[in-house]
Amino acid sequence: MAIAFHGELYIPKSSWIHRWAVRPKLVSLLALLFAFAMVRHVVLLPWMLGCVALLYGLAQLPLGYLLHRLSYPGLFIIAMVVALPFVAGETAIAQWGWFTLRQEGLAAATLVSGRFLAIVITGFILLGTTPFLDILKALRSLGLPPLLADMTLLTYRYLYDVAAQLATMQQAMRLRCYGRVRQRTRRRWRWLAALFGTLLLRSYERSQRVYQAMCLRGYGQMPSRSQHFSVAADPVITPIATGLTGIITLAFILAEWRLSTP
Amino acid sequence: MHIPDGILPAQVCVGGYAIAGGVTWYVLRRIRQVSNPTEEIPKAAMLAAAFFIGSSINIPVPPVSIHLVLNGPLGVVLGWYAWPAILIGLFLQAVLIGHGGLTTLGVNAVMMGIPALIGFQVFKLRHQVGKGWSMTQSVGVFAFLAGAIALGLAALIFFGLIVFTIPAELNVLEERSALTALMIAHIPLMFIEGIFTLMLALFLLRVKPNLLDNPG
Repeated sequence: MAIAFHGELYIPKSSWIHRWAVRPKLVSLLALLFAFAMVRHVVLLPWMLGCVALLYGLAQLPLGYLLHRLSYPGLFIIAMVVALPFVAGETAIAQWGWFTLRQEGLAAATLVSGRFLAIVITGFILLGTTPFLDILKALRSLGLPPLLADMTLLTYRYLYDVAAQLATMQQAMRLRCYGRVRQRTRRRWRWLAALFGTLLLRSYERSQRVYQAMCLRGYGQMPSRSQHFSVAADPVITPIATGLTGIITLAFILAEWRLSTP
Repeated sequence: MHIPDGILPAQVCVGGYAIAGGVTWYVLRRIRQVSNPTEEIPKAAMLAAAFFIGSSINIPVPPVSIHLVLNGPLGVVLGWYAWPAILIGLFLQAVLIGHGGLTTLGVNAVMMGIPALIGFQVFKLRHQVGKGWSMTQSVGVFAFLAGAIALGLAALIFFGLIVFTIPAELNVLEERSALTALMIAHIPLMFIEGIFTLMLALFLLRVKPNLLDNPG
């Protein structure tokens, strides 16, 4: 599991998309994501992918960023859609022994892959042009409950520490011959349960210290509602970008509705 | 066991968000009734981080190794906080790893979180059903059941959604037999998840028993 670090998630630039105010950007791009998820006609795929390519170009994000971030979910979707052309549908296109390639299955796999690419890349555009903490602040100002916002911030803050701690503990286990000599599966499971239990225990003990430190800094005494975003929004770009994205979202919803009605 | 973006129709994704929103409202209400959230947030957040990272541990099941889902243990250790922990864990997995998705966040939360809450309720049954048993027996049996049931329910929701919403051209009989076959294939995994939850619960009972006492 390769967790992206903050520097790998956000690419600082001064593109139009970077200067788009966080709250309208979040709402607009999420609406666009759902409009893409609504698409059920293959004919809309090129338009959808064209829009995403245009947005990606406007965001000035490097191609390497996309390829690097796409590798893991890309492998997952390939594994999921590879069987579809062989199991779904009735119209046979080609046959190799027991395997029959079917037209309806192939269309469904193309649709799923296209939708997946469009949604995932739009998500990358949002994450690559907006600092993660700004996204959380925007979510908070849009009504995310304080408990969820605080828990997300703390989980994100300590995720990398816990990962480092687990790596250290696993190294210590290997130094004590775990996995190097033949051991019964039951014994190895017991080691792993103790490893995970110890990780929980250390995290729990640390949380007590973190809570005391937070209390000393006034946590829970007054509501914290910082509206300051780390990237300044452009007052000209924001309405234009929000309006255009709104029009594109509506266009996809209407096109899908038009194609679905006989 | 996450559904990625693009797989499910938008109506299902929106439905997932609606159910997740309702469950979040109910769970936050319960949390405020049974505990002091300000005090519990750091504990729940740190344990959520530990579960997030812990799910990457490889469990040897010769000749292969697998990753555990851990929604049962989350219910056992975090109680009501398992829901926000899963919601946040799925959000961070989608953002930081690209596992799961933003449009399917609600559906994935329902798929993993509701079974975790049911696992929590099953684990709490030890106070009533396991009254005459020793502590080790009652914790062990109900931790096993919580882990196995939570994974079984998550797998049922996962395969139900995949089989009934994607390939529209599969007929009802094929869909039913595919779902049955996939669920039978998951019975050994339910057993493994249950055993791991049992071992974890017994370890915590030995070294930090108060981690298993969640107010309900």
